[in-house]
Amino acid sequence: MSNSDTGVVELRGVVKRFNSFTAIRRLDLTIKTGEFFTMLGASGCGKTTTLRLIAGFELPSEGRILIDGDDVSEVPAHLRPVHTVFQSYALFPHLSILDNVGFPLTVRRVPRKERLERARAALDLVQMGGFFDRKPSQLSGGQQQRVALARALINEPKVLLLDEPLGALDLKLRKEMQHELKEMQRRLGITFVFVTHDQEEALTMSDRIALMRGGEIVQLDSPTGLYNTPSSLYAAEFIGETNMMPGEVVEVGQGRARVAAFGQELDVRTADAISAGTPVTLTIRPERVAAAGTAGPNRVEGRLREIDFIGTDIRLVYDMPGGTRVTMRRQNIGSAAPVPGEPGWLEFGDGDLRLFRH
Amino acid sequence: MRRALRERIETGAMLAPSVVLLTLFVLVPLCVVAAFSFALRDPYGAVLPGFTLDNYRDLFQSVYLLVFANSFKLAATTTLLCLLVGYPVAYFIAFKAGRAAPALLLLLLIPFWINFLIRISAWVVLLGRGGLINQGAMALGLLDTPVGMLGTYGATLVGMVYAFLPITVFPIYAALTPIDRRLVEAGADLGAGPAETFLRITLPLSLPGVLAAALFVFVPSMGVFAIPVLLGGGKEIILGNLIVQLFLEFRNIPLGAAVSILLLAFSGVGILLYMRALGRVEAMK
Repeated sequence: MSNSDTGVVELRGVVKRFNSFTAIRRLDLTIKTGEFFTMLGASGCGKTTTLRLIAGFELPSEGRILIDGDDVSEVPAHLRPVHTVFQSYALFPHLSILDNVGFPLTVRRVPRKERLERARAALDLVQMGGFFDRKPSQLSGGQQQRVALARALINEPKVLLLDEPLGALDLKLRKEMQHELKEMQRRLGITFVFVTHDQEEALTMSDRIALMRGGEIVQLDSPTGLYNTPSSLYAAEFIGETNMMPGEVVEVGQGRARVAAFGQELDVRTADAISAGTPVTLTIRPERVAAAGTAGPNRVEGRLREIDFIGTDIRLVYDMPGGTRVTMRRQNIGSAAPVPGEPGWLEFGDGDLRLFRH
Repeated sequence: MRRALRERIETGAMLAPSVVLLTLFVLVPLCVVAAFSFALRDPYGAVLPGFTLDNYRDLFQSVYLLVFANSFKLAATTTLLCLLVGYPVAYFIAFKAGRAAPALLLLLLIPFWINFLIRISAWVVLLGRGGLINQGAMALGLLDTPVGMLGTYGATLVGMVYAFLPITVFPIYAALTPIDRRLVEAGADLGAGPAETFLRITLPLSLPGVLAAALFVFVPSMGVFAIPVLLGGGKEIILGNLIVQLFLEFRNIPLGAAVSILLLAFSGVGILLYMRALGRVEAMK
């Protein structure tokens, strides 16, 4: 019943209520076949609930869920063609690694010989070939993670659901696993639906990201789209670092506006229909703030407050007229850094500034 | 050094009351019983000092072996029934009852506030010909004449299961509650239906509790005497009645003591088997 012009997972008007609490307000979402789809958001935004709705651990209060074109809204979890990698791994403590990985095949009455062969192959795939007889408690977190992945992949599910699978790993291991997961997803061509609160992880791995808040999708976009052209102040603030500056629209032109800020006027490109006199917030990414030697259009003079050395980057925080602070980020290329207390001209490119109404 | 000494004295002082209590009321009587089991008796029932193995030799007469077999059968049946009834109860309280769980556990305990014999006597009233069950069934038209339930093996089993059910539920409940619900979800997620998830995941993980419950029911069941007498009419002689009879009616204290020691040995073996089984279950993890 595969239907190529719809997505592999579709949510239509899905609402989920727990007693009086509405976890999912209203969700319409299409996840495309073979993509790496991420649901990103702070805790309580509804991302995990959405994943559990797709897995079948929760049933929607309203709306329909389709997997591969079939309506599975009322289908219990064990009959859905999706598998989950849990944050806590959820390996069965009383079964060996091999039996854990072979579990989906045991349940489907796959003959023993074939089951063991496929379980070994799945463990080789995640580089856990030497651990067949161990118990889960004898493995490290990262190893358990790999076993959980092998177990979820052995049956070649249409969709793999991953609930913050890297959350419990240390930073270095997490980075490694990010690349490995992404690479595995490309190779196997399985649709990944990934849940995380880590925006960097989301940006690195995803084809598309749904930024969620309060049981709704705030923005659904590619990583670059979400980072470069956030559609709301919330998105701009949640993803990456952002400077926020209060201002007021003075004049509106074609595709651009003049905004009063820092006691002067700045040019901002905007497609928004906006009228003069509107109070707005201007945002700009720290790496888009440029150092300029002299005064000029869209340049504001500030005074350097502090310097943070990050390693690859240097972070410079400026006190601006009107009491706002602006952070500038520039690559550490070895040149002499300015000294706190020194004045400096900062340039805000009209295409780098973004304008949001309150 | 002085500090270590002081700590040892303190520990000793704190342990002393229980050591004294256990020695006086458990260890000493046990030694007396053990000594009696090797003693002689005069024709009037008085215990004579001496040493003989005759009392134990007598136990291997077929009549006593039958008593052992009866006790074993009763204890095994009780254990099995208690597990069959108690497991679903524990499962319900652990996973389905939610906020009502503490209240339900308390309800299981409340009968213990009433004297054991009174509780069993209540069953005599309930199961009797003029009792609530017969009267109720007749009122509903299910029966024409009262059925004689008292004095049957079934009545004994009802009383046994009633008496030991709370002891069954608690260890199983304690083993079920810490099971990570994600494991059950993972089972379903990977394609196992509810029954298969239970058999392959929940049940094996709760086995330590099941073993403990089996031990807690089986060992005391071997030595009961009031329930089979009051509800079952005492038709089959079991170890409990045998000991009472030997001590109080036949005045054969040495033989009664020998039966008691054998029962104790039986329980000891039961506990050993439990420990070994538990070790094996724990090793699975």
